[in-house]
Amino acid sequence: MGSTEHISKQFEADLDTTRTRVLQMGGLVETQILSAIDAFASGDANLADQVIENDARVNGYEVAIDGACNHIVVKRQPAASDLRLTMAIAKIVTDIERIGDEAKKVARMSKRLQEHGPQHAQRFPAIRHAAQIAVKMLRQALDAFARLDAASAAGVLKEDHEIDDEFRAAVRQLVTYMMEDPRTISPALDIIWVAKAVERMGDHAKNIAEQVIYIVKGTDVRHTSFADIEREIGAD
Amino acid sequence: MAYARDLTAIRGLIASHKRWDRVFAVCGLLALMLGVLTFTALFVDMAIDGFPRLSWDFLTSFPSRKPAQAGILSAWVGTAMVMLVTAFVAVPLGVAAGVYLEEYAPKNWVTDIIEINITNLAGVPSIVYGLLALGLFVYQFGLGHSVLAAGLTLALLILPVVIVATREAIRSIPQGIREGAYALGGTQWQVCSDHIIPYSMPGILTGVIIGMARAIGETAPIITIGALTFIAFLPAPPVMAQAPFVNFEWLFSGFTVMPIQMFNWTSRPEAAFLQNAAAAGFVLVLMTLAMNGLAIYLRYRIRRNIKW
Amino acid sequence: MAAPSIATVIEARPEARPQAAVKAAARGLSFYYGDYRALTNLDLVVHENRVTALIGPSGCGKSTFLRCFNRMHDLYPGNRYVGEIRLYPDDTNLLAASVDPIEVRMRLSMVFQKPNPFPKSIFENVAYGLRVRGERSRRALEDKVEAALRGAALWDEVKDRLQDLAFNLSGGQQQRLCIARALATDPELLLFDEPTSALDPIATASIEELITELKRHVTILIVTHNMQQAARVSDYTAYMYLGELIEFGVTDELFIKPKNKQTEDYITGRFG
Repeated sequence: MGSTEHISKQFEADLDTTRTRVLQMGGLVETQILSAIDAFASGDANLADQVIENDARVNGYEVAIDGACNHIVVKRQPAASDLRLTMAIAKIVTDIERIGDEAKKVARMSKRLQEHGPQHAQRFPAIRHAAQIAVKMLRQALDAFARLDAASAAGVLKEDHEIDDEFRAAVRQLVTYMMEDPRTISPALDIIWVAKAVERMGDHAKNIAEQVIYIVKGTDVRHTSFADIEREIGAD
Repeated sequence: MAYARDLTAIRGLIASHKRWDRVFAVCGLLALMLGVLTFTALFVDMAIDGFPRLSWDFLTSFPSRKPAQAGILSAWVGTAMVMLVTAFVAVPLGVAAGVYLEEYAPKNWVTDIIEINITNLAGVPSIVYGLLALGLFVYQFGLGHSVLAAGLTLALLILPVVIVATREAIRSIPQGIREGAYALGGTQWQVCSDHIIPYSMPGILTGVIIGMARAIGETAPIITIGALTFIAFLPAPPVMAQAPFVNFEWLFSGFTVMPIQMFNWTSRPEAAFLQNAAAAGFVLVLMTLAMNGLAIYLRYRIRRNIKW
Repeated sequence: MAAPSIATVIEARPEARPQAAVKAAARGLSFYYGDYRALTNLDLVVHENRVTALIGPSGCGKSTFLRCFNRMHDLYPGNRYVGEIRLYPDDTNLLAASVDPIEVRMRLSMVFQKPNPFPKSIFENVAYGLRVRGERSRRALEDKVEAALRGAALWDEVKDRLQDLAFNLSGGQQQRLCIARALATDPELLLFDEPTSALDPIATASIEELITELKRHVTILIVTHNMQQAARVSDYTAYMYLGELIEFGVTDELFIKPKNKQTEDYITGRFG
């Protein structure tokens, strides 16, 4: 951020590399979500295995980026926007990694559902839709991070409730199934786990967006009402 | 760079550069030896010439027409008294003037002119001081051909040296020390008397040594103001057994000094008087060295506490 | 472990601390070296029993500003102040021509960039300010010197050698001695002019610790070229550039979220 560059070219490069890595990690996790949901919908066990396997790469990113943040703190004692960026990256990385975990969870559930019979999953377009919103939120949050665009990040916060709505709809539907036919209870519970995982992805995407607002505006908007946030964004 | 790679060439280059180190070391040593050896040769020659005459009697006898009985009592006592007056006058005046110029005087063109003049005064021939003193001290002030007049003359002569040395010593005190003292709420005088003067004492003493060493050997101004060449009495002693214990009559007494005594003897035809002159010269050098030694010791004592 | 009380939570938020009284305030202060204007129209408030830091690149006038407070510039000809520095609670204008600079220096103390103990004993160094103030009683001097040395966290190291020369102390000890010297006269405002720039990191840490300790009783104004030091020790920070005050604020806020682009560029190392 800032039009001027740091006097230290190395510092500039370190920050740049770290930022790029966060975006790469985010891109990887996006694919993970999409693949996991595909595996859930199609019952493709290979795809599910691939997601589970790829999670190790996500974890690797997390460790590497955390290490880079530590290095920046110890070597540069960042201040102001650099401080906010570094601290926020450390938190964003945790959120991205959690989203990766949720994707892995979805993949694992897909495999279990497959063992119950392949017919269940396709019947839940609500979950698929929620997953698409989650991916969109993550993408927008990362995009806002890349461009340091607080307004765009605030947009992400608004979308979270859509996922929540989809989640509640899916749960309602599943409860109906379970009441109709007690034999569906076991797979239905698994599907609820999937829905919950997707809902959590949305929450994490929202956290990322909040961190982006912190980087840009310097205001901690966690645990604040949306109206307050909008006022903050519009402040200047 | 390719420079660093060719080690043989580099070593050759360093060796050829270092030749100049040796060349200068030799030249410097020669220059030093020229001065030291000349002095040593003169001193040794003088010591050999004068040695037969050096004895307790020589120091405690008055001058005489017979070379074998002649001594330097009145001369060395005269020198000591004149030096005493010189030091007592030149040091306070010089230090006060130096401190004023450095710490008090406004920095303007008047001060600049005074500064330039003081430096120039140090270069005025001593005979000129003698003439000035003759008119001013001897006749105008009516001090006569006395120890006081001579002391004042020599004090005037070395005053520029003391002032310049004082100023240099004051300038070498770090500004931080001065500011530290002012920051504690000191007035100008408190800062000068508690800090500036005590801390510049070693430098001032150096200046005083140089000045006194010059003054002790001065002949011309002393002759000008009319020092006697043959004295067979001592002035009244400055300290008495009964009240008021001190006596300032000696200040107004006639006197002679070592260089004049020597000059007197060297102008005599008898070779024996030349021996006397050499012996007196030896004593004069010892007196100078003793004075310097004392000042160096004092300077060392004070400087031990000061590091910057 | 019980949940932290509301009080502790509030305590942890510096902006929630009660506002300190104003100890000194510069108003419309400009300073001239001859015709050259080194400071331009500065306004700054110094809060009581808080540490206020002045930061900025070399030549920004931060030391010049600090030295206005105790009229150090009066020692050199051709310097001129415009505007005022008010000292409270008596509301004296320290820069007024009618106020004797010596009176100002009796009220304020200063610690310099390079440790500048006098070539005297440890005791005499600390006692000097008291002697200048006319303290003659040996007993009172001893008590105050001890208190000042304790205040400067030096007592335990020097209590057995008070008659030793101050120069025999290490650099860090010398600087703490200078702090003791400044503390002995019970100053209303303590000025620090880059007090650790000549010290190693360990000595620096002990001086910083001392500053944090001191601010419980003393108001401190510190100039530092070390931004992290300002962030560590100060409650308020002022960023100066080219003789002007660019930004002033609560230290934590200024270092996390400066309002001014110039401040941001300076503290993030983009200054050039």
